[in-house]
Amino acid sequence: MDFRSLMTLQVSVPGARAQKVGAVPLGTRVIAPIDGGHFEGPKLRGKVLPGGGDWTLLRSDGVLELDLRLTLETDDGALIHMRSFGLRHGPPDVIAALARGESVDSSRYYFRTTPRFETGHAKYAFLNRLLAVSSGDRRAAGPIYAIDEIL
Amino acid sequence: MRTRPLMTLHLSTAPTQDVGAGPDGTRITFPITGGSFEGERLRGKVLAGGDDWTVRRSDGVVELDLRVTIETHDGALVYMTLEGIRDDGASGGPYFRTFPRFETAEPRYSFLNRLLAVGTGELRGGSPVHVIEELL
Repeated sequence: MDFRSLMTLQVSVPGARAQKVGAVPLGTRVIAPIDGGHFEGPKLRGKVLPGGGDWTLLRSDGVLELDLRLTLETDDGALIHMRSFGLRHGPPDVIAALARGESVDSSRYYFRTTPRFETGHAKYAFLNRLLAVSSGDRRAAGPIYAIDEIL
Repeated sequence: MRTRPLMTLHLSTAPTQDVGAGPDGTRITFPITGGSFEGERLRGKVLAGGDDWTVRRSDGVVELDLRVTIETHDGALVYMTLEGIRDDGASGGPYFRTFPRFETAEPRYSFLNRLLAVGTGELRGGSPVHVIEELL
């Protein structure tokens, strides 16, 4: 399987705004609203619009399911809808450190997502026709995703 | 991204159900009648009863939405879904890529619950074959 770097995406997720829905039938639901961010890659760059979020679910087996939905705006004005399913898990001490907002080497836990894109802008229509994968790095201010196109 | 081989999945399908032009595009459902999978860590057969609910979008790309149950050689049932796209008009040749996911209650295979994977699909003699790799 071959990959090519598509972009680095940095998302601002203010922890204070997290909506802790609590224990729901499928696990523990926390919704993390996004208030901005930016992305940059060889073929596109721009900012993340406020208003998206990550609908997270902590499962009974300790794996955190991620369901990120946001809108990207390129520097030339195209809007791109992005959604990305993901999984995050790791040793208990590492997950606890992340929960405290500490910086942890991202190689110490599993944080992978599968982004997809939709746009009506012809210049970026190639995004409608690809699947991507990403490695996440959870920082106190929000995650950083290294996103690769699947070739 | 680093990956490691997980399995090669062979599917056999019954004649398609051509639902026709709906709001999302042209919908064609492929009933799954069986198949097999093989990798270093797991192997077994595909149970009859799943389907691939495909829809051809207005831009010509086909969206896949597959659900099957697979059974390992030692009797574990694994629920498998696969979302993906097939773009037969891609400039570098057909682009057929997928995101498989797995669910099982069997402890021997619980590693499947904790991984994400990607697949490369192709049609061999009219039957779909997916080469699936784990994202490390």
